[in-house]
Amino acid sequence: MPSNTIVERVAADLSKYPPFDVLDPSVLLDLASCISIHYHEEGEVIFNKGDVLGDASFMVMKGAIRLFDTIDGEEVLVDLCDEGDIFGVRAIFGGSTYVLSAHVAEESLVYEMPIEKIRSLIAANTSLSMFFAGEFAKSMQVMERTLTNAFDQHRVRYNEQSCRSFLEHETLEVKPVTNVITCSPDISVRAAAKIMSDCNIGSILVVSPENHPLGIITDTDLRKKVVAQPGSVNERPVHEIMSSPVYTITGGKTVADMVMLMVKTKLRHFCITEDGTVDSPLQGIISEHDIITSEGNNPAVIMKEIMAADQVEQLKKERDKAENLLQVYIRQDVAVHFISNIITEINDALIVKAITFAIAELEHDGFRRPALPFCWLSLGSEGRKEQLLRTDQDNALLYADPPEGKEEEVHDYFLALGRKVTAMLVETGFEQCPAEVMASNPQWCQPVSVWKKYFSRWIQNPEPKALMHSTIFFDFRPVYGEAVLAMELKRNIFEEIATGRGFLEFFAKNALQNPPPLGFFRNFMVEKSRDHANEFDIKSRAMMPLSDAARVLAYELRVPDYLSTSERFRKLAELMTPERDLCLEAVGAYEFLMRLRVVNGLRLVSSGRYINPENLNKIDRQMLRNVFATIEQVQKTLNLRFQLDYIRD
Amino acid sequence: MIDRAIIEAGLFRCRKKALPPDVCRYLMENRKKIPAKKPLNEVRFVVFDTETTGFDLKTDKIISIGAIALTAQRIEVGDSFEVLVRQEKVGDREAVSVHGLLRKDIASGINEISAVTAFLDYIGNSVLVAQHAGFDITMVNRVLWKNFGIRLFNDVVDTASLAKRLEKGPYYNLAHKAGEYRLDNLCERYNIRLHDRHTSAGDAYLTAQLFQRLLAKGKKSGIDTAGSLLMT
Repeated sequence: MPSNTIVERVAADLSKYPPFDVLDPSVLLDLASCISIHYHEEGEVIFNKGDVLGDASFMVMKGAIRLFDTIDGEEVLVDLCDEGDIFGVRAIFGGSTYVLSAHVAEESLVYEMPIEKIRSLIAANTSLSMFFAGEFAKSMQVMERTLTNAFDQHRVRYNEQSCRSFLEHETLEVKPVTNVITCSPDISVRAAAKIMSDCNIGSILVVSPENHPLGIITDTDLRKKVVAQPGSVNERPVHEIMSSPVYTITGGKTVADMVMLMVKTKLRHFCITEDGTVDSPLQGIISEHDIITSEGNNPAVIMKEIMAADQVEQLKKERDKAENLLQVYIRQDVAVHFISNIITEINDALIVKAITFAIAELEHDGFRRPALPFCWLSLGSEGRKEQLLRTDQDNALLYADPPEGKEEEVHDYFLALGRKVTAMLVETGFEQCPAEVMASNPQWCQPVSVWKKYFSRWIQNPEPKALMHSTIFFDFRPVYGEAVLAMELKRNIFEEIATGRGFLEFFAKNALQNPPPLGFFRNFMVEKSRDHANEFDIKSRAMMPLSDAARVLAYELRVPDYLSTSERFRKLAELMTPERDLCLEAVGAYEFLMRLRVVNGLRLVSSGRYINPENLNKIDRQMLRNVFATIEQVQKTLNLRFQLDYIRD
Repeated sequence: MIDRAIIEAGLFRCRKKALPPDVCRYLMENRKKIPAKKPLNEVRFVVFDTETTGFDLKTDKIISIGAIALTAQRIEVGDSFEVLVRQEKVGDREAVSVHGLLRKDIASGINEISAVTAFLDYIGNSVLVAQHAGFDITMVNRVLWKNFGIRLFNDVVDTASLAKRLEKGPYYNLAHKAGEYRLDNLCERYNIRLHDRHTSAGDAYLTAQLFQRLLAKGKKSGIDTAGSLLMT
């Protein structure tokens, strides 16, 4: 009688991985008691291509095994197995020799499962036979498992889930109201109000004789423009008070489309016309109400509350709500770029609102606002529209050059503004930047001419600190105020880069300082520091290498837009045709990493930056491995493009 | 030579049917030593651990034995062993709780004589392996001597000493820093995840994993036969 304690321990280890996770406990114990545990050191050979099939299949319990084919004397890596992966299944189904070689990539513990045992289990258990048949089919094809491939599988998986859990939501078409009540532009306001009250509707569309939408009159228009005005407006024609033009779209929009549109335009009514323009006949109308009632938890509601907020405390509440929303989206596997768009819109609205509050407060305190254009810049991840979870704030303030003699006065005002806004953002849940890269820091609250000097200095003299600043500041994005100022700055940077030979090379080299971890979990990848021992820093080891590379290339190719990392790669895919596939892989890789970080952050109520590999499921680990391969490829490309091997530190 | 004499004396009593068949088979199997030239891949190792009521070699008693075999570098899960021993006196509360054994578990065990007889049957002439092997061997020997007038004749490897020998060379003073070679510390050093600690089977399984790694390490310094491992 074998030892119960030991057999149960082995069974528990087996049950962590498919297909054994669904086995009956008694069957599992029976299998466990047949297992041999083999320990291998790095470099050992488990079998070689052409060897006679053994009498066991293998499962990696720890470590990593490389499976490769040898073609014309060259080794082609076919798969890399780590914890929970099964290999050598060919033996179960017959044949005579191994078609691949299995070598030990790092110290490994491998369970050997007798094929006779597996055969008898398969015979009695449908789910097992399905699994092994699938594994076998996979092992039949010598496949270079490219990332694209893996991402496709991933996408299919998510889509299937979407169909089940998400159908009633975003992917559903919003049905417009088709029996729209309309009136001609010439009828009186009083007549229009009467129609609205008779039909009990909140808005009426004003249309031309050809039924083209001209404008809209809503309850609000009536309240503000009619009731509040002195004199008799009632008899005036409606076209004088209607809101015009109306926002027109074509039909067939999903809830997701509409939510985005609503968040973006901040409008409440959308007209559907035949061709989506105001010059074609009206087909229907979709109001905010239709969108909201078609979905419970809604970003538009949050946006609306933010816009209507009159106290900072409300902002915090709304941002908390946004985090719930984020959770819902993540759970429902909504596309990351959609989520980040929504959350960025919300974050931006919060900043805008905080700035409005701050300006009002300063005015109240007797600070006169200088008659100078200024622009609030978000930097770093918020600048890249990637701040899904609230992390540290990175921002700066840029204002037009003040007239001579007024420098100090102007600086004082904007610095006071910067301090107020950053303090409000702290209250809203965005912590202070420990390095004080914030508009409340006098250094980062400056007129355009000084900002140009900063960038010029960083570009002309790319020493380490300059490069560090560059990675944060080059991602600036205007959030409030005169975007023209930001554009001016950006154009200036392009010019400086064109003249400052060598900067891009250093910038690129800097982007390579975090190579992706080559080994796998436990041994190589996890951090050595005490605080985060056995955790993996997803930000610096996986996301930064990609976002750094995207930034360098975007500036090299003079992409003027303020883009996120995945948007940059999408753009780069258009601009760099030979690297198109790699760039698209990078888009997928980065979005996957963002999702992973959010899931981890929501679970731990943290920034999500440190991930314990043991908490990842098998598919995520597989994906992560593919992501590392992409990062490595991106870095190689960068290295080649800038000939970095020739640059010495 | 003394072993030889005890075995022959035991076999003599076997012929008189004075010893149980399992014990006699054990004696027969151990008449010959394992040849020094035998490759380690062909040797069956039994990694074992005993839990006792305390650490006094004279008065304390075995309450469980756990073991698992390792052959051709593989830990064979099916070739394992675990018995609970029924003891009248289970010693002080503290030791009992450390072992994770409840009084009623111990009461449900088999008697000491059957337990060691089953163990002899399981080990045959395999090489015994244990962490701080001396203690466990002595505990088993006491029962064997009292009841059958024999003791264990197997070759023995102590994992703590082997680890020390592989890490520091044969002349390192082990007493100097004994803590370094405790099972917990060794497991941590060799990346073995701790589970079921303080049950004899759990500890035997951990020790087996440790021994497996030590063998791999030893192979690189030329330890590949029974003789080179046992230093005979």
